[in-house]
Parts: sequence; C-alpha cells; structure tokens
Amino acid sequence: MADSDEEYVGDVTEDEDDLQVAGRDKIGMRKRKQRGGQEWELSRTWETLVEGADGTINSTVEGLLEAGKRKRLLKDTTPLQRGIIRHLILVLDLSQSMSEKDLRPTRYLLTLRYAQEFVREFFEQNPISQLGVLGLRDGLAIRISDMSGNPTEHLTAIQALRPQDPKGLPSLQNGLEMARGALFHTPSHGTREVLVIFGSLLSSDPGDIHQTISTLISDKVRVRIVGLAAQVAICRELCTKTNGGDETAYGVALNEQHFRELMMDVTTPPASYSQKQTASSLLMMGFPSRTVESNPSLCACHSKPSRGGYLCSRCGSKVCSLPAECPSCGLTLILSTHLARSYHHLFPLINWVEVPWRRASQSTACFACGLPFPAVPPEDQWQVTENQTKGMSVSSRYECTVCKNHFCIDCDLFSHEVVHNCPGCQSRTNHRELDAQPANSDGMDMAA
Amino acid sequence: MNTVDASEHYELGATDLAPSLLTIILDTNPHAWAALEDSLPLSKAVANILVFINAHLACNYANEVAVVASHSQKAAWLYPLSSYKGESADRDGDVSMNAPNGGTPATQTNKYRPFRLVEEQVNRNLKDLLDSTSSEDLRGNTSTMLAGALTLALSNINRRTIAWAEEHGGADLKDTAGEGGTGSGTAPSNRYAADDNDERLQSRILIVSVSGSGDSAHQYIPVMNSIFACQRLHIPIDVCKLSGDAVFLQQACDATKGVYMALSEPRGLLQYLMMAFLPDQRSRRHLVLPTRVDVDFRAACFCHRRVVDVGFVCSICLSIFCEPPPGNICLTCGTSLDPGDYGVKPALLPRKKKKKKRVNGASAAGTPMSTPTPGP
Repeated sequence: MADSDEEYVGDVTEDEDDLQVAGRDKIGMRKRKQRGGQEWELSRTWETLVEGADGTINSTVEGLLEAGKRKRLLKDTTPLQRGIIRHLILVLDLSQSMSEKDLRPTRYLLTLRYAQEFVREFFEQNPISQLGVLGLRDGLAIRISDMSGNPTEHLTAIQALRPQDPKGLPSLQNGLEMARGALFHTPSHGTREVLVIFGSLLSSDPGDIHQTISTLISDKVRVRIVGLAAQVAICRELCTKTNGGDETAYGVALNEQHFRELMMDVTTPPASYSQKQTASSLLMMGFPSRTVESNPSLCACHSKPSRGGYLCSRCGSKVCSLPAECPSCGLTLILSTHLARSYHHLFPLINWVEVPWRRASQSTACFACGLPFPAVPPEDQWQVTENQTKGMSVSSRYECTVCKNHFCIDCDLFSHEVVHNCPGCQSRTNHRELDAQPANSDGMDMAA
Repeated sequence: MNTVDASEHYELGATDLAPSLLTIILDTNPHAWAALEDSLPLSKAVANILVFINAHLACNYANEVAVVASHSQKAAWLYPLSSYKGESADRDGDVSMNAPNGGTPATQTNKYRPFRLVEEQVNRNLKDLLDSTSSEDLRGNTSTMLAGALTLALSNINRRTIAWAEEHGGADLKDTAGEGGTGSGTAPSNRYAADDNDERLQSRILIVSVSGSGDSAHQYIPVMNSIFACQRLHIPIDVCKLSGDAVFLQQACDATKGVYMALSEPRGLLQYLMMAFLPDQRSRRHLVLPTRVDVDFRAACFCHRRVVDVGFVCSICLSIFCEPPPGNICLTCGTSLDPGDYGVKPALLPRKKKKKKRVNGASAAGTPMSTPTPGP
C-alpha cells in the first residue's frame, strides 16, 4: 500500500502542496494531533480545478501557486520569548531499519543529507549556539561529533558516515543518556535540547527508559523526535513529558518533503515556557574590531605570532579568532554580526494583509519592485473573482498595515523570509511622523 | 517541459555569459553634500556616476542598472521608476521600455539609447526628489535612509532575478518558481540559497555614502537584516565612502565580500569608480580587490542607540545595552536579569562592618564625630 500511494503523492504535489492523499502510517494518521493534519486525508484535488474563461486551468494553477506561497508566510508573529543560546544534541538512528527505501534513496542517506542541511541552517539561525551529533547503532550510542559551535566539524563528521552501513538495533535509552551527559555541563541560561531522528519501531534498552525520562525532565532537557516509520508510544510519551505536555514535539514524516519540514522546524529557536525555567543573566560582552599590524606579534590565546587579529575592547590583548573569552581579562568577545543574525526573531515583520478590490485602486504597481498590478475591474465583476481561491489576495496586492503600501506576492515572500524588513516602513523617516499623515506620504513616495 | 528548458538553457550558457545587474545607492543627504561642496559638489558626483553607469552598461548589452536615492527622510527610486511620467500602464518590466517617446532634446538624438534613458530619468527624478525636500525635513535631520534604500534595492534584485530566470528557463527557474510552487514549509534556505554559478543574474550593490556612522545607528537592525540577506544571496555590497566613516558599512563589505574604499581625494571619484568598482563578480575572482583589512565590528546598543565596543547582552534575546538597564529588566523581552558581578565593589563590605563595630561602641545615637580617633 505504501508504495502505490507514494507515487500518487509525487504526482499530485507537483501542483498542490497542501492536498496530499498519502497515508503511510495508519496509527499516525488516526491520532494526528501533532504537525500534519487530518484535512489531508480526504481532499479531492481535482475538484478544486475550475476552467478559466479561455478553457484552460492556468488561472487556477497560478492561484494555487500563489496560495501555497502565501500559506507558509502566515506564521505567528507574536514576539515570543525564545531561548537563543541553544545547546542541542542531534541523535541519528543508524540501525538496520534505516536501510528501508520508503524514503528515497534510502532513509539512511536521506537522513544524512538532511542532517547536513540541518546543521547549516541551525548555525545560520542560531549563530552562538552549540551542537553535537550522536548515533544509535548496534544497541550502542556512538559519538559522531562533540559539542561545538563550528558547523564544518559536524558536516565532515556526518559526511564520514556515508560509506558506512546502518546495522543492529537502536537503543533510545543509551542515546538519551549520552545526550544527557553531553548537556549536563551546559550553562543554565541556554536551552538543552535533543532532536532524535528515529526510523525504528522498537528500542532495545538495557534498563528502564522511564527512569531516563524522569531524569531528563529534572535536568530540563527537551526532547523532540522525528519518526520515519510510524508513531511509537514511548517516543510520544517521551516528547510530551519533556516538553511540558506539548504534543507537537513528536512528528512522523509522511514523505521526504514533510521529513525536511519537521527537521527544519527545529532550527527556529524554541519559545521559553516560563521565565523561571532558565536563569537569565546579563552578560558583559566586548565587540572587538579587527586589526592588521605591520609586524607579527604573539596572540594572547595561543602565543602564536600573527599579524591579524582582534583586540579585546577592554584590555587590548590580541586574540586570533572569535568568539572567544579574553585570556587576560576574561571578557567574552564576540562578533556583533553573530548576535545581529538572530534579531529578526526578536522583531519579526508583521504579516501583510490581503487587499480587496475596494481598496486596490490606490496603487498601480508594487511599491518595492515596481511590478504592475492587474487593473481594477468594474465593480460588478468584483464578486466573480472574489473567493475564487482561498488564501490569496484577489487583487494580487498585499498591504503592510503599518505603512499602508501595497506589495506583490514575491516581495511579500522575499521581505518575510529573507530580508525581514518592510521596504515601505524603512523608506520613510520615522513612524511617529508617518502615523500622523499616512495617506499623504504614500502619494509622495510614488510621485518622487 | 524540462527537456525544452534544459536545451534552451544549455545553448544560452554556451554562447553567452549572464549579464549583471548593478544597483547604485546614492546617499543624497543634503547636510553631508553641503559639507563636500568645495571638493565635489553633488552635480559633479552625479555626472561622474552617470559615466560609470554608462561604462557598466557598455560592458554587456544585457547589463542592467538601478539607482536608489537614500535621502534624509525617505528612500526613493531614481531609475527605473514605474510611475515615471504616467507611462506605467504598458510597462512590461523591461527597463528600457518605459522611455519617454517625445521631448528628447535635439542634441541628444545620436546618443546610445540606454545611456540617454538612464541619464534623463536619473536627472529628472533626482531633481524632483530635491525639490520635494522642504526645509522642515532637513531641520535636525542629518541621517540617511540607508536601510530603506537597501531593502528597495534587494526587492528589485529579487524581482529581476526571478524575471531573468523565468525568461531563460534552466536550473534557476526550478529553484525559484518550482520550489515556491510546491509550497514547502521551510524551503527558504533552498529557495534563496544562491549557488554561485555563472548562469544566474549577477547582482551587486554599490553604496556611494557621505553620511557618518552616528546617524545610522537607529537603523542598526534593519541594516543588519539587509546585510544578512545580501550575504545569503551572495550579493556583494561595495562601499565608496566620500566622507565620514560608517561602522555598519564596513561590516557590510566584510560580510558580503565587497569592496570598501574611503576616498582620500573625492575629486577623483570617477577614477576610483572605474578602477575599483567596475569589475563584476566573475572578473573579481581573478583580481586582487582593494578592500579594508581592519574592520570596525562595533554594535549599536538598543537603549540609547550608541555605538559601543563593550556592552551588556541579555542572555534571552541577545539585546545589546550600553549600561545595565534600569531595574535589571531587559527592555526588549522584559526578563528580569541577574546582573552578575558587574558594579559590585568587593572592598566595601568588610570595611563597612569594621566601621559599624566602632560606631556601635562609641555612640549609639549616631552623632557625627568630628575627629575620629584612629582605631587600634
């Protein structure tokens, strides 16, 4: 059953992402409270296609594309308190069940590939966090790479797994205990997380895994699991208990795409549930500038002669790389660009709203890129085009609610996913003045 | 469909190199230009930049250019402008198509058309922009809208990249449109991760900057966001600094591997532009680029917008403060913070105790003693 359904999914998802007909794991389907949804089970993708006036389905397909783009934008923009200094252990299942070919090319190879992508994306989003990688093979937990903040170390370690074969049975308990040990010494102001990629339906453990779970809870380690086969009761219990009753921490991958989504979700810093959970502190940090000297001098950290380096902003000793702790005065030295990378989590760009035809006439082209919008049709046709496709704007315009400018879907996507700035809001003086006269300045920008 | 696209794409790659898109951000802050009046007036600088643009357009017939003004109170397009002379109705997105048909001075009829279009539009739009600046706008406002200009420039680059990939099919179309179409929830890294192959539109940004750094500190976060976007898209930011010194622009060049030049002699602007900033990414691989080796990595604090080199960082949200925030409550996320050992004077405590003992022994009322006798 699994195989035939798979191919079908492949065909359908060419056009529509949210309408998938697959059901590989019955258990997962029935109980899916977590990510993924019941609405997928019975959706007849062909019925949503409506022929356009010219007899083709182009317009519908385009609408669906746009709705798909839009859908992933509509995320929650509440500025949650997030743990940005993270300590995460990635646990990969390397047991024989990973040689299954239901995910192509095999579960094993796909997992390694996604693990490498995960490492890159993780450090992109969490530049001052630490990561370690473990593997579960032959009933043992093996160390693949140690906790460190350097992505290339992890990437080469994961790459080195490629020629090996998955074998034996996995032991979830051993993996968790080793992860707990690795996270034990981490400072309390960071998060402690474990992400398990689990392809098996069993775990051969040396002892009582429930005891491990309770020690994980007392150590404030949060475990998230991505299952590749079907839902497993102990995984579910583990995730729910260590995440304070949150069931979304456990997800079972339906297909390759869904697997990737589940993994990449973890790269976003997790929200802190209570302020007491982590002891927060004010850290004094220095932002040193890079210098190049005419003559080599010894660096304070390794006593090696070098010409370039960073001078500690408090005591002036030279260190050769950042982030580091100043060897002489103990000040934490960091690149401000490392910190600045995560600021878009702090100040998320608010979602833009769809513009009905009624208000569409005030703009003719996208404010940011100048793409002309479709002209406003006569009033009697408004109803026809309305509610043609859900999730997209009828007038192809999206409005920033702060600066009231209109943008096209591509700029909407680009602004929210890449730049994290609103082109309209940033292009004008300051918000206090603007709020007083929004309409006026809008006209000015277009005219200038 | 794929086979057709692939063949078309292959032919293109074999015969033709991808064009490059140069986006120039011109800082038109009137205060800074007034200070430069003696050595390089704005009109002369614009003339030099136009020559530079022409040189860029002449390198490859398909090269494109865009100019954004980063003015003191807003950022605005100088070229191309969609609402130019009300001709936006039949514009098809091609930059050379929205030209005015009439009103060309007779002397310019022999000029290469793309040169003339850019020159006319830039001059006219710049004039409009300066005319629309009132004296109220200028009073006490010495900043420039760099973040807005960068965001506008990036939006345009995004638009042109998508458009170019759609016109020419091939691998990039699959990345941008195809990936977007399948609507994967977390594809942005894939979708926007630019491979530095030669087959995509090569974009770069040149900032001609005159304002100092203190002015742009309030835009720290949006500017940094734009810089990271450029870094992700492999768009180098070149900076040609005519006066002042900007902290964040140095970081921008360093992060995106662009060229940073602070001109010692602003009058030689054209020569600097031609020699240092004309080569595109493909040529730059073979050149030794003039750039800074020492980079200012200071950050702006969130509380007073000061540029600091030692700051206090909230461990929850990584906000930077120049001094411990009042009440030790983070101003961004509201967490109450443990200030640690900062500001604690270790010598005070034992000395106080010592004093207390003596005071207790001498006078219980606590009257000040004029000349305390030295203790034993």
